[in-house]
Amino acid sequence: MSFIEFVEGPMFYAAAAIFVAAGLWRIIGILRIGKKPDLAPPRGSATAGWWKGNLRHFFPRGLFAERTWMHILGGYGFHLGLFVLLFFAAPHIAFVERFTGLSWPALPRWGFIIAAEIAFAGLIVLWVRRFSDPVMRQISDWDDHIGTWLTFLVMLTGCLALQESVVALRATHMLFVNIWLIYFPFSRLMHAFTVFLSRGATGASYGRKGMNP
Amino acid sequence: MTNVAITTLLNQTDSDIAAYLEACVHCGECAEACQFYESTRDPKYTPTFKLAPLVKAYKRHKAPLRGIKKIFGLVPDEVTEDELREWEPLIYDSCTMCGRCTLVCPMGIDIAGTIRKVREGYAAADIVPDGLKQARVNVEKTSSPMGVTPKALLAQIKHQEEDTGLKIPVDVQGADYLALFSSHEIMASPEIIGAYARIFAKAGLSWTISTEAYEATNVGVQIGSGPLAAKLVQRVVDEAERLGVKYVISPECGHAYGAIRWAGPNLIGRTFDFEVLHIIELLDRLRRDGLIPAGKKDERRLTLHDPCQIVRRGGLLKEPRRLMDDACSNFVEMPGAGIANLCCGGGGGVSANQRAEELRTKAFGVKLDQIEKLGGVDAVVIPCANCRGVFEDGLFDLDRELEVIGLGELVAETLADDPPKAAE
Amino acid sequence: MRHILSFLAICLIVATGVPASAQDPVTQTRESIMERQRGLGLSGDYSLPSGQPPAPEAVQPGSVPQLGTRGYASDSDIWRALRDGSANATPSSSTAASQLMQVIGDDWRMIRHDYLIKYAGWVLLGVILLIALFYLIRGRIMIRGGRAGKTIPRFSMSHRIAHWFLASTFILMALSGLIILLGRPVLVKGLGEWLMVGQLGMDDSVVTTLKSVNGVLNSAALQGHNLFGPVFILSLLIVIVRFMKGNFFQKADFGWILKGGGLIGGHASSNHYNFGEKTWYWVVVLVGLMISVTGLFLLFPWLSDNLRFHQAATILHAIGALGMICFAMGHAYVGSVGMEGSLDSMLRGEVDVNWAKEHHDLWYEEVTGEKVSHDHDDTAATGAGTAEGTA
Repeated sequence: MSFIEFVEGPMFYAAAAIFVAAGLWRIIGILRIGKKPDLAPPRGSATAGWWKGNLRHFFPRGLFAERTWMHILGGYGFHLGLFVLLFFAAPHIAFVERFTGLSWPALPRWGFIIAAEIAFAGLIVLWVRRFSDPVMRQISDWDDHIGTWLTFLVMLTGCLALQESVVALRATHMLFVNIWLIYFPFSRLMHAFTVFLSRGATGASYGRKGMNP
Repeated sequence: MTNVAITTLLNQTDSDIAAYLEACVHCGECAEACQFYESTRDPKYTPTFKLAPLVKAYKRHKAPLRGIKKIFGLVPDEVTEDELREWEPLIYDSCTMCGRCTLVCPMGIDIAGTIRKVREGYAAADIVPDGLKQARVNVEKTSSPMGVTPKALLAQIKHQEEDTGLKIPVDVQGADYLALFSSHEIMASPEIIGAYARIFAKAGLSWTISTEAYEATNVGVQIGSGPLAAKLVQRVVDEAERLGVKYVISPECGHAYGAIRWAGPNLIGRTFDFEVLHIIELLDRLRRDGLIPAGKKDERRLTLHDPCQIVRRGGLLKEPRRLMDDACSNFVEMPGAGIANLCCGGGGGVSANQRAEELRTKAFGVKLDQIEKLGGVDAVVIPCANCRGVFEDGLFDLDRELEVIGLGELVAETLADDPPKAAE
Repeated sequence: MRHILSFLAICLIVATGVPASAQDPVTQTRESIMERQRGLGLSGDYSLPSGQPPAPEAVQPGSVPQLGTRGYASDSDIWRALRDGSANATPSSSTAASQLMQVIGDDWRMIRHDYLIKYAGWVLLGVILLIALFYLIRGRIMIRGGRAGKTIPRFSMSHRIAHWFLASTFILMALSGLIILLGRPVLVKGLGEWLMVGQLGMDDSVVTTLKSVNGVLNSAALQGHNLFGPVFILSLLIVIVRFMKGNFFQKADFGWILKGGGLIGGHASSNHYNFGEKTWYWVVVLVGLMISVTGLFLLFPWLSDNLRFHQAATILHAIGALGMICFAMGHAYVGSVGMEGSLDSMLRGEVDVNWAKEHHDLWYEEVTGEKVSHDHDDTAATGAGTAEGTA
């Protein structure tokens, strides 16, 4: 078995299985802790609040945005860029199609290159802030840095393989993808999913109070 | 002692708190919303950092997948007593549980609510600032954190009856409304009792003050002791149900409202037989029902401070504004008014904590800057007795002048004259 | 900003010599040959270009070629005409298409291969050795009198983010660029042919392997370089704007130069930035913009069909980048290992008061309103003078 066959075959299956199983385990584990029902008579709907909380926090508040615009630009740039890159790059869609048969329209090459550039710029800005801001230095731990670096390496090896003609480069990219998938559910990268629980919890409790911060 | 703290911390961690701890990405945005960070620029005041003891305990004992992490040695060590003590000032002195950090948090984490849970662990282990300990002792003796006795209350009521010429009902069985007050109001601004009397008389409602349950503030909530908080709520509930009132009126006091309105039923484990209303909510209701029509407006330039526990975390956003519009002709809003308004700096028991005084004054400085930016404000209307106290202390410490008035007082002063009076 | 860009564009055009025909290689025309044969044009300058384009009818199809010394016009003349582009070999009017044989590429190849690639690596190694040597002689420059423990703010959050943003993209661009430029000579020629086969006597197949490794690395480096290029330009523009304030040369810079940045003796006063830092800033601005413009040109080759532009762009891009990498290595050295307290300014945004007094006294006075005393400088300078390079 060649290296590329290994990283696109058994290793990928194992990594994907760990990603799904451990990810679900973690989400269910959080929910299983459970909570007592709220006995205070509500002034508004908790369900509506759950949705409002989730949607409202996608957008920064103007009052704070003035002070944190660099971070907001970096954060949006990285996340939106990564989203586009991940789901609308032709090689990624082709990869998904290979395994599932599902396919959807891809962005033209220049489109996803621009998305990648924005994502890279954003990620670098976020990482730079992490080590040069006293607040960030105070609260960051190894998980933050490993998560950032792994994501960066996945993106970097992906962009190095852009010529799509060198198997060794694609294999390197896949290797990092696999490592990233395995690391994901055990790390803070899980915020991609736990964010909805967290925003929802706050949204629901504020929703009951008739507020929606 | 540490074990008690850790056990309590873990018991307090429900799925919401777990989701918060799991979702934090250490982005540091919350620091930008925190007055204690803003006024000191000290990174240790970053809100999410204050949660560290809970995070450690959670990761070690409760977080999903901790078993696998343990194999790789990635689970944090047990929280030590030294750590708990090191974090104590962060948890009690530098957090008013104002909840502003939640607004800026991209993950929507309720850090204030989580701090409240962390305090449970601290209170259980009795690692608590002296100021709050003293308040707890006072409450256990007299039910009031400032040691206000029924006798003192009755004296103040008598004064107000003389001032207003109105009979103030005490311990009346079967009244519709039971009014609670905060010690600060009873001792420092008893006019508010007179204002209530005028308003209820105007609206023609039956009300009463109880000598058994007059204190609305809840040290249990501030210190983070669920059992004490439940005891204090229970006393009000028992008295309200004994008197058979339909409504209990929470006074202009931030945490007191949250304690009885939102936490109360959960603390005593059952719903109440009466409805809890905040005085502002009641005034707004009476105003809209036409029972207390507005009269001549105050023409000064006034602004409104939003007490965190009443507005952002209490849900009363529009009510105080409608009352303000009726009561004054020159109402200006602060930048970020309403849900994102700055805290006075002394909520959540910080004002009862002498150790935090310097820090609190700094945080108040940020608040004062916000008001002074408006320019030419004659007075600030504050529907919270604790905020008013913090304002007065802070203004004194910073040697600045600004009039501070309660919203209930303002409403009472700007009521329309009685039609019969007008006819006379 | 626009003015700087247009200025650079003009410089580029002038430097690369437009129009191209003005610099045609040494040419002989049919006339010059005929003249020489008739013994007329022995004026001695036959080998110099006339300045006029060669007569187009020289080898017009269908025309009867004039007799030369060896019968028909010699083949070499035809080749020469083809070579200098005067042959009109195709009916196309496009300059590139009508040129059947492109020779300027040969010049470019020679410059690139015999000068640029040959010396680039040695220049880089030389700079590294210089820095190492400086470290051995001078050691880490400590803060005179130690740290005060009190700090003052030097760079805001946005300065720091801008700086590290550029630094990160620069490192990525530099590494990938060096692989593109030096991958083959270092891996295949140096490591493979010279060391492994030549010195260690390994089998020739190792060279083949290294060639394919180099191929993979180059594919990766080129894609990375192209993708990060625009990000680098973005970060460069941010740095240019964010750091412009305070980076114009001032009176104190004269003194700083005269005192050799404090190396020669005495204390060299400086403002927020010293002469070395200002020079580095302007190198970043000018060279950075130059490699950005030339880089964009290489990324989007359809911007012009003039080959000379492209050739000049590759050469200038490489030279500029090499220069910047050399500067950056010195900058990184002084900013970290080389000088105590420098890294704080970019890591935490705050510097020790004593560091500020020593290296940027005028700035310190401006910020704090305090006078800095240099009484002890001379005594201390003999042992540990200040040497602000390009921190």
